[in-house]
Amino acid sequence: MDFMLISLLIYLVGTVTIVWPKRTELAAHYFGMICSVVASGLVAYSALMYLLFPSGSWLVDTYWGSYSLQADAWSSAFLLLTGVAGVIISIYAMDYARGYLGHRIRLLSGLWNLFLLSIVAVLISGDAFTFIVSWEIMALVSFLLVNHEAGKKKTVSAAYQYMVMTHIGTAAIMVAFYLIGSHSLSFSFGDMANNNLNGFMKDVAFLCAFLGFALKSGLMPLHIWLPNAHPAAPSHVSALMSGVMLKVALYGFGRFAFQFIGMDVFWHGLIVMVIGLISAFLGVLYATMEVDMKRILAYSSVENMGIIFSAFGCGMVLYAMQLHSICVIAFTAALVHAVSHSLMKGLLFMSAGSVMHATGSKNIELMGGLIKKMPYTALFTLIGSMSLSSLPFTSGLVGEWLTLQSFITLAQQAGNPELRLLVIFAFVMLGLTGATALGCFVRMYGTAFLGRARSNIVDKAHEMPVFMLVGMGLEAVLIVAIGVMPDILVNIMQQIFSGFAVVSMGTPLGIIWGGSGHYAIYSPGIIFAVFVLMGLFMVAALYRSGTFVRKDVTWNCGTVPTSRQQYSATGFSKPLRRAFEDILTPKRRLTYLRKEHAYFGRKLRYDLEIPDLFNDKLYKPIQQLMINYSSAFHRVQEGSVSIYIGYTMIAMIVVLIWGVLL
Amino acid sequence: METLMTSLGLNLVQGLLLLVFAPLVAGIINKTKAFLQKRKGASIFQEYFDICKWWKKATVLTPYTSVIFVLAPVVYFMTSLFAATMVPGFLTGQFSVGDAFVFVYILALGRFFMTLSSMDAATSFGGMGGSREVYISVLVEPAIMLAILINSIRYHSTTLSSMVIDYDGAYFTISAVLACIAFFLVMLAENSRLPVDNPDTHLELTMIHEGMTLEYSGKLLSLIHLGSFLKIIVFLTMFGALYVPINIPLAVKILLGAIIIGIVETLNNKMRLFKVRVYLGAALVLLLLAIIAE
Repeated sequence: MDFMLISLLIYLVGTVTIVWPKRTELAAHYFGMICSVVASGLVAYSALMYLLFPSGSWLVDTYWGSYSLQADAWSSAFLLLTGVAGVIISIYAMDYARGYLGHRIRLLSGLWNLFLLSIVAVLISGDAFTFIVSWEIMALVSFLLVNHEAGKKKTVSAAYQYMVMTHIGTAAIMVAFYLIGSHSLSFSFGDMANNNLNGFMKDVAFLCAFLGFALKSGLMPLHIWLPNAHPAAPSHVSALMSGVMLKVALYGFGRFAFQFIGMDVFWHGLIVMVIGLISAFLGVLYATMEVDMKRILAYSSVENMGIIFSAFGCGMVLYAMQLHSICVIAFTAALVHAVSHSLMKGLLFMSAGSVMHATGSKNIELMGGLIKKMPYTALFTLIGSMSLSSLPFTSGLVGEWLTLQSFITLAQQAGNPELRLLVIFAFVMLGLTGATALGCFVRMYGTAFLGRARSNIVDKAHEMPVFMLVGMGLEAVLIVAIGVMPDILVNIMQQIFSGFAVVSMGTPLGIIWGGSGHYAIYSPGIIFAVFVLMGLFMVAALYRSGTFVRKDVTWNCGTVPTSRQQYSATGFSKPLRRAFEDILTPKRRLTYLRKEHAYFGRKLRYDLEIPDLFNDKLYKPIQQLMINYSSAFHRVQEGSVSIYIGYTMIAMIVVLIWGVLL
Repeated sequence: METLMTSLGLNLVQGLLLLVFAPLVAGIINKTKAFLQKRKGASIFQEYFDICKWWKKATVLTPYTSVIFVLAPVVYFMTSLFAATMVPGFLTGQFSVGDAFVFVYILALGRFFMTLSSMDAATSFGGMGGSREVYISVLVEPAIMLAILINSIRYHSTTLSSMVIDYDGAYFTISAVLACIAFFLVMLAENSRLPVDNPDTHLELTMIHEGMTLEYSGKLLSLIHLGSFLKIIVFLTMFGALYVPINIPLAVKILLGAIIIGIVETLNNKMRLFKVRVYLGAALVLLLLAIIAE
């Protein structure tokens, strides 16, 4: 109930660190972080209680005139996700952000609280104005956070690109709100649900809403800001942006789809599904080509948001086909995957931050063998990587499995061949995505943590301070807990859609999906128990038989192997780059630097550039078009005042003549 | 609860049964190849001897390796064994702990650790093998997804035991035949057989799976080989039960499948790495046609 308002107040108190005296910067930082931990904890607790014990009333219900704060079950799911991520990442930031001492750390802590505040405000706003204002604060604060290391040129350009893109999205969302609000009694969400918008304008409203929210969640082709903004921001900010802010876009889109626009139009769902699938595959393909750890994770966010939106679109399609009892699994899949992606991407951005903290670089080509220097971080990163590859015993597979089941259900219901072809497309895309994601994270983990050090930056690497480990560890524990016992989460999430149909998928045995004559089961708990037993048996067998281990350097045809002989990350993804070169269009340059001798010991330089498909084919032409148009106006807009006065006079004369003639 | 325990027990027995026969199937494939190449060849029990031999030998580890290197073969073997308990065939009960997608992702867990271990020994061969393994698995995965899709559309379930061919209905259809051919192609790629990978050579240009496991020795190597043999028999069982539309006993199907793999491996060369794309594209198109014909 009022916990939510109290937490908003605590966030607000946390922002005072901005005006804290500079002498006690560190105290300001700790104060800010403690505020955000407490407030986020309250948010998570009240949302969880609301979801576990549904009472039929609102979670929050407050009015000030026409402004209102309201939260239902759909909001609560995202509040839960925000609260959990807020607590964990703030704990991590207690140690991590200390690296910004002397670099506006007070501002960082204050904005951090404001960022969380605005996210919670978006999730609990009950009318269009509150929503837009909170949404705008969220965009501006995240812009400031991305721009925190403003000394770097790359950071500034990434931040401004983000700023421009997110405002295009906000504009689209405002149009959508306006279209719906103008056809209903007021701009409160309750009234907007009863709008009488129909036909063409409804389609326009849908497309505007989808454009706006897809942009914020980084779906292709609107993703271009994301791989630039995430690496530029401080790591804990990237973790929150990727883990939570992208999901807030899903929240908004769901609000529109469920409440305002409805899901009766068949092709609405199809568009969401297809864009989601394309984003999923292309996102992970670009991720596999990157060598910057945070860019890999950013592109992987595009992939996962793609999977989430494709599941959501699948649900919309099923709903439009009047299969109300079945569509629940697809929406549940989207929500479960959203929660699990929030956990695993939060975790991996934190590990990327830890690796940066340890080595001072984000480039995995310079790393190697970090598992020996920072074993705990390596363990947590391994769990996160497994989850992002959707392997068993992690939350990743739970979401992935539910997504696959919803598409299978769609396939079984698809009578006409066109829809069946679409389902085939979906499965090809999901298959490609799954396998490429595995390759992507094997490549990232293998290059950064395994093998030998590729440069001397690894020498000074060390294990992380305790709060950072606690933060990462909590996420890892949650990922495994959900992965092994998914029934609690699945049950919470499916009852949010009990308005469509009541289903019960989570059982003590695991997830059982039995909709419309279809039957499928996934019981990770039992599989986990069997694996643990088998593992114990194997270890015992290996030890009992008297294992004889000898340490010796790898045979390298008589020479001593150097660390340069390892496979590089760029080399690792070479076959995939060849296989999909039509999409990736890689540009390679091989330069021979013949310094010492023509043949022996010569030096080579290899440059590889993979341009973003949409940047070249979509954004550059648009940009060029805009510049051309502007330069056309340049001719009339000379800048001298007398000419402008002349324009005004001509305009007046035209108006006068017009008035006389008519 | 009792039926649950019984089915779980039956599944485990089946897994152990397949484990016992796995090296034999590999031996049969090798014997077929030897016969066709007019060689006498090794005994069909040779793989048992090899595994025992490696188990007795010492394990040499490079100092660069981490715990992942030791963990990977253990996980790989366990995932193969678990897949053997899941696959429908001889003793699977009514209850299963996972469906076809879980089966795919359990195998993916093994692949994840094997490819990781390939980068752990800090050599070029390992990374090369891992990189190629990832490349091939990316191409294989969509085909496997479509193969699952066909049977799940037909039998309204993704549980492996429900996806077994139903001989009471019409089973010898165009769709079934196309799916059968396509799954055979996929099976060869997934199990690193010719024409995609050559399990016999250690030439750096050709090896994929062997490249990944080059640094292994002793007990760990014997686990990897046992895991690979298991994977072959698991895929043959799945192929026979789910995709071969001929009503003969499953054991016969497995035997025939092994012999056909031997014949195919004798008749074909290893293809260029980037031709695999076309090869698996063909499998994908066959599956697409099969789904449309369904």
